[in-house]
Order: sequence, then C-alpha cells, then structure tokens
Amino acid sequence: MRMMSLALMNFKNSFRNYLSLVISLSFTILIFFNFQNIIYSDGLAVLGAKNKEYTETVVQVISFVLVCFMFFFIWYSTNVFLTKRKKEIGIYVFMGLSNQKIGRLYAIETALTGVSALIFGIFSGVLTAGLFQMILFALSDIAVEISFQFRIKPVFITSGVYLAVYFIFVLKGYINIVRSSVLSMLLGTKQNEYVKQNVAILFVKAMAGTVVLGTGFYLAVRESGNGVNIMGNLFLAVVFVVIGVYLLFGGLIPFVFQGLAKNKAFLYGKERCLWVNSVVFRMKKNYRTYAMACILILCSVSALATGFAMKNRYENVKIFESVYTFQVLSSWPDLGEEVRGIIGENTEITYSAEIPIIALKEDTVAANENFGTYALVAYSDLKKLAENVGLAFDFQEPEQGQVVRASHLSLLSLITDSSHISVTIGGKVYQQTEEITVPYMGYLQDKVSFYVVNDEEFKDLVPLGQKLYTYNYRMEDLNVFETVREELRRFREDVISDYYMGIVSMDPSKDTLEWIKISYSLCIFMFMVFILASGSIMFMKLYNDSFEEKERFLVLRKIGMSHKVLQKSIAAELGAAYGLPFAVMAVSSYFSVHALELMMKADLRIINVVSVLTVSGIFLLCYILSVLTYQRNVGVSENSLL
Amino acid sequence: MKNKVVEVKNLVKNYGAKDVQTKALKGIDLVIYQNDFIAVMGPSGSGKTTLLNILSTIDKPSLGAVILDERDITRISNKELSKLRRDKIGFIFQDYNLLDTMTLEDNIALPLSLNGVSAKECMERTKELGSLFGLTDHLKKYPYQLSGGQKQRGAACRALITNPEIIFADEPTGALDSKSGRELLDCLKRINEEGRATILMVTHDSFSASYAKDVYILSDGMIKCRISRGAERKEFYDRIIDVQTSMGGDFLCE
Ligand SMILES: Nc1ncnc2c1ncn2[C@@H]1O[C@H](COP(=O)(O)OP(=O)(O)O)[C@@H](O)[C@H]1O
Ligand SMILES: [Mg+2]
Repeated sequence: MRMMSLALMNFKNSFRNYLSLVISLSFTILIFFNFQNIIYSDGLAVLGAKNKEYTETVVQVISFVLVCFMFFFIWYSTNVFLTKRKKEIGIYVFMGLSNQKIGRLYAIETALTGVSALIFGIFSGVLTAGLFQMILFALSDIAVEISFQFRIKPVFITSGVYLAVYFIFVLKGYINIVRSSVLSMLLGTKQNEYVKQNVAILFVKAMAGTVVLGTGFYLAVRESGNGVNIMGNLFLAVVFVVIGVYLLFGGLIPFVFQGLAKNKAFLYGKERCLWVNSVVFRMKKNYRTYAMACILILCSVSALATGFAMKNRYENVKIFESVYTFQVLSSWPDLGEEVRGIIGENTEITYSAEIPIIALKEDTVAANENFGTYALVAYSDLKKLAENVGLAFDFQEPEQGQVVRASHLSLLSLITDSSHISVTIGGKVYQQTEEITVPYMGYLQDKVSFYVVNDEEFKDLVPLGQKLYTYNYRMEDLNVFETVREELRRFREDVISDYYMGIVSMDPSKDTLEWIKISYSLCIFMFMVFILASGSIMFMKLYNDSFEEKERFLVLRKIGMSHKVLQKSIAAELGAAYGLPFAVMAVSSYFSVHALELMMKADLRIINVVSVLTVSGIFLLCYILSVLTYQRNVGVSENSLL
Repeated sequence: MKNKVVEVKNLVKNYGAKDVQTKALKGIDLVIYQNDFIAVMGPSGSGKTTLLNILSTIDKPSLGAVILDERDITRISNKELSKLRRDKIGFIFQDYNLLDTMTLEDNIALPLSLNGVSAKECMERTKELGSLFGLTDHLKKYPYQLSGGQKQRGAACRALITNPEIIFADEPTGALDSKSGRELLDCLKRINEEGRATILMVTHDSFSASYAKDVYILSDGMIKCRISRGAERKEFYDRIIDVQTSMGGDFLCE
C-alpha cells in the first residue's frame, strides 16, 4: 500500500510533464473509439445490410491500422516514462528499495497515466461521436438522421484493445527495470550524452536502409502480370518501406550530417556550426520520432489517394450501371419490336441497341484469372452498338487467334499488367491484344467477361456455347421504372414461356454502393488524423527538446551571440527536423501512390501532389509554431532581454 | 600613453526593493588600459561577480557609467549591446560553459564562424590558438571526453578567437585543481605578455591573482587598494598575502 501512495504522489507531481503524452494518447483513443462507434450507429443500419457489411470491413481494416499506430505510440510514450523515471528511480535505490519494488512503482505510475488517458479519451470520444458521424455522413453525401446514442460495445472494444497493448509495454518496462543494474539506472540519462555515433555502424545502417527502402519501392510499383502474389508483394513493400525509413533516419541521415559536421569548410559558414552539430546531437535521440512522423504522413497521403481512387471507381461503376435501364437476354432472335413497344408506351427511349452474344459454356474457357462467366461478341456487331448508343469505339478488328477484352472495373483489381495474356477458348489459344473498359454492354459487362473476336471467328465459335440476343434500352423518364419492369415481367411469363428470357433492370433509386462513399469519407478522415498525429508528434518532441536546450542557449547568449543569430540557427535546425521527414515522405509517396494507381487503375498524380501540398501546408504551420515556442522557451524571442 | 579600453565611473549596484536593499557595489572607479592584466580579488560576497556582470553587459548598474569604445555601454540599445558583446568582449566562466553538442574545435571556432569570417580563417585561428594552449591533440574531442583544465583552456581559446578588446574571466580557476589552474594561468599570462589580450579576471584566490600585473582588492562593494607587480611573481604573491593578512577585519591598505 505504501507503494501505491508513493506512486500516486509521483504521478501527481509529474502530471504536468506527462500532460502532452496523456493528451496524445487520449486523442488516439478518441479516434479509435469514433471509428468503432460507426459500426454500431443507427446511421449505418439505415443503409441496408450489404452496405453495412462492407463498411464494417473497411472500418475494421482502418481500425487495424489504428491499432498499429497505437502500438507504436504507446511504445514511444512508455519509453519516455521509462527513461525519465529511470533517472529519478536511481534515488530510490539509495533509499533501499529493491529492483522489484522500483519496477512495481514504475508499473503503477505508468498504469495511472495510461488509465487517465483512457478515461479522458473515451469521455471525449463519447462526446464527439455524434459530431463525427454527422460530418462523416455529410461528407459522404448521405442523408441520415443522426441522434445521440450511447453504445457500450465500442467502449469495451476500445478499452480492451488499448489496455492490452498498454499492458504489454508496462510489463516490458517492469522487466527492464527489474533486470537492470543500479549503475546503469543512475546512468539512465547520462548515456545520451555521447554525441557522435560510430561511423562504421552508421554506414552499415545507411547501406542497409538504402537497399531495404529501394526494395520496398521496387516491390510497390513492380508491374506484375500475375495477380496471385501481388497482395503478398504489397505487404512486403509496406514492411520494407517502414524498416527502410527507420534505417534511413537511424543511419543515412546521421551519417550525412556527421560528414557535414566533419567538413569544417562547410561547417564554419553562416549558423551551421550551431545547428548542424545540434541536428547530429538530436538525431541520435529523435530518429525514431522523425521516422514515425514520416511514416504517418506517408500513411496519410496514401489514405487520401485510396479514398479518391475509391470514389473514382465508384463513379466508374455507376457509369456501367447507368448505360442502360433495361437489358433483356433471350434465345429468341426477334424480341426487339415487342420490348421496344412495352417501354415506348410508357416513356421515350433515349437509345437502344441489339447485339447477339455467345455465352460460353463454363469448361470451354481457360484464362489466367477466373472470372466465372465468359461471353463472346463480334467486332462489327459491337461497332454498330457503339454507334447506336453513342460510345467511343476506336480499336481495330482482332485478327484470327486474337481477342480484345471488354472488361469491367472492379473496386480493387490485383492485375496490374493486362497485355501479353493468352486465353484458351475451346482448346484454341488466343492472344489478348488489348483491354478496354468502355461500358458497351452496360451492367452485363460488369458481371460477365466479354471477349471481342472478329466476325468470322464469332460464327465458328457458336457451337462452344449458347447464342443469346441482348436488347438494351435506356429510357427517358425514370419515374415509370416500376411500371415498365412489371409489364416486362408479365410479358416474359405470358408470351414467351417457351424461350429463355432474362431481364436486367437498373433501379435508379437503389444504391448498393453507398459503402464506397462512406469509405471515401473515412479515408479523408484518416488523412486528417494522420497528418494531425504526425504534426503533433513533431511539435511535442521539439517542445520537449526546447527545455533541454535552455541551458545551451543561455551559454550562447552569455558569450555574446545575438538573438538574431540564434533565431536563425533555431529556424534552420527545426527546418531540418520538419524538412527531412517531409522530404522522405514526398519521395516515398510517389511510390505508394503509384502502387495504388496500378492496383485501382486510376490516375492519382493530382491527388499525390495535392496531398503532399496539404501536408506541407500543415507542416509549415507546425514548423512556424515550433520555431516560435522554441525561441520563447530557450529565451531568444524578440522581446526577451539577455 | 597607453590606450584606455574600459573606464568605470562611480559604479553603484543595489539589489532588491527599497526596504530590503543589498548594496553590492558602492561606487567603483577603475580604468583598464590596453594590454592590462587585472585581477579583482576579494572575499565571497564582496561584489566581484556583480562587477563583472555589469562590465560584461550581462547586468545593468543602478548608477554610474562604463565607457567602452567611447560609448557608455550601460545606456545603449540591446541590438548594439549584442554586437558589442560579440565583437569587443570575450568571456571565460568558472564552469567552462562549453557546448556539449560539439567538438572542442567547433566550440572554439563557433564565435568566429557566426561572425561571418571565412571558414578557412576560422580553421587556421582555431588551430593556432589550440596549439598555443596545448590542445592540439584534443581538438576533435567532445567536452565530455576532456578534463576540467582542458575544457577551461578551450573556453579561453573561444574567448580569444575573435580578438576581443577585453577578456572578462570570472573565477576561471575556481573549478580546477591547482595544476590545471596553473596551466591555464600560465597560458593567459603568456598571451597577455605577448601583447595579444587585455584581461580582467575576478578571483578570491591570491595565488591566481599573483599572475596578474595589477591586483585590486574588493571588499564590501568598494575597491580598497591596488597592488602592482614588480619583476617576480613569487614576490608579488607574498605581497598580496601580506596585504590580505594585514587588512584582517578592517581591510585597509598601508
Ligand atoms: N541577484 C541578486 N539579488 C540580490 N542580491 C544579490 C544578487 N546577486 C548578488 N547579490 C548580493 O550582492 C552581493 C555581492 O554578490 P556577488 O557579486 O555575487 O559576490 P562575489 O561574486 O564576490 O561572491 C552579495 O551580498 C550577494 O548576496
Ligand atoms: Mg562570484
């Protein structure tokens, strides 16, 4: 019990020191809670089962990313406690406390910090939940009534995950203390005094980092004809990039700066003698923070790109659905007049087109990827359809033994290179010369894989499947949709019971893809969250550093350095602190966004530029704030005297 | 006639509010000429640091003037002050005040490099001063790798590198063992005798004071007497001790 009150006292006395950490931990919890809360909200239930299911999946994926983030963050903050505490804890050794007891003291204190962050985080999470959902649905362009509701389940999930991660690190710190010797505890902070790092080790790290990062970049953008391994590659790419970035900040960058500090001809110019040395000194302590900030903004940019790619896809998929209102399939060749009559009674027909297809039997096709249903169309038939409907048509008629693939756009395609693919149809190998995504066949094209062959070949291949006639209509007045559908169904039952007839109808009032819109908004949220997280991590770190630098700046002022010179030096040093992670991110983002481009078949270059610019704006803001507070904290701001 | 570097006129410094005032300095008059080596000696609390802080523009006096470079430095703007401190004054502190983030070499070169002097000249001067102070083998080391004496000699190099008109040293041997202290004082003495520095040193220790050319004895915020050196340092030291003992409680010069 004495332990407990001692820990409580310590906690109370140093609460101010930990406040920034408590706040950032709470912020992480708040975000995690809000994401979890979406799943259990009424708003989502309104969107229907399918949408709810998909959104849940997306939220869980994001939650996983957040847990990783939380993991690193707790790791970082418990480490801060540990080093800070280890120094003071040395005193307890002289008071005669055993390592076990000191360890327990640490564990209790850290747990208190963790729990207060949890309470604070959940509390603010519950308060902001309504607002969060409101913004989310507004951003997704979905009209839902949001009412304030409190659900206990997300609270449990959030607390559970957080406490589990936290417990791991408290345990780790406890073991660390129990195992450490008195001497090393007393030296807990002294060890940091060594400024320079071993050049050989740095060099090895730098080389390893460059290779690992390069490999990561290569894996991310490698054009792969084979879809099987691409997810694995991508996962590996992420792991490599993360490790590479850490090695870069732990190896290459200190290596370069130590080199600069050695080159006196460079060093003794402007304010460099001050800030370059300072960067070398700081980099050793801070490289993990810089690496984390860098990875976070990389995540941020990737999240935004993903969001836009999804939106882009969503719009494309919508285009496929909106080409035709009704698509009738039948084995009967002359239904056109009658169907046209039924629709024409109710509304104008904007355009229509008829085209025969061969629905191939399942076992006649062997392609690289298995898309299920395959069908063939003849080149000149398709050309005529394109003219009727008013779609672009600009590819050459395939030769004998060649096919052109008329494919659909899926939300995530894992094939990044579609040329040089061969398809076997009825035992004969065809070379795929091109892949086009113009929605000639409308919704059917989204569900069936079409191959365009030349007219001769089309005739020859009829025996491999069933010849079907499709009748496609786009109608003017969508209000009569229900009536027309009813009439078409009656027609199917009454009139042509002898033949096969299928009707595909695109209900304009139903949207089964709402979840994509929500995911898109969630991605934008992630973008903001990650930028804020990395910005605040950097700011906090530098804020804490400024207090350590106070004495050094006092010395500098005493030996006659003017405020202006010191201000410039601070500006340059913090510029490096913010600039380096930013630069590494900007380069890496090219590769991560390019990987997304390949995967989602979207042009994301503009998004890349816009998101990097946004990050730079926010970083600039943080930088200016940091410089101002730093100058104030070390006493060299405009209006401080000596 | 020697050039006047600093002239102190009727310097008074009071600390605290009206009712609980400490009179740290009670009217100091002092002239420092070029190439002087002055030691201000006095017991703890006699006002040595206060005097030095005012002279070196770190603090402001309550009354009086300090003329440096034909200007009263107690009455000039902050901007000019920092320029003055940068160009005209060098400092040596009791606790070295080297920056632990950079090598000794960089510490020494720092003031010069920040003044916009070319890197080449910075390197040359650092090397030259380093060898003068016996630090050639230690220039690449960080402060934590150096002994107190080496650090203080490094600090002296840093103070000298900008060729200041005057160097202020506050108990520079205070934290050193006697051997390191002697080494430092020897260096300062030599550089002064070579005509390269004007030094005002503050100390409570008569042995350190005996390295100077003139010793002023400060007591209770006033200069009680001045002793000038003859040829021999040993003889000078004995005279300082004599004065000190003879003054006893009353502190009067013969
Ligand atoms: N900042 C201060 N506020 C109030 N009194 C001070 C301050 N600094 C010094 N003093 C007083 O002024 C007198 C001289 O101090 P100081 O110059 O530090 O003496 P020395 O350096 O010779 O030991 C002492 O009585 C001391 O208590
Ligand atoms: Mg003193």
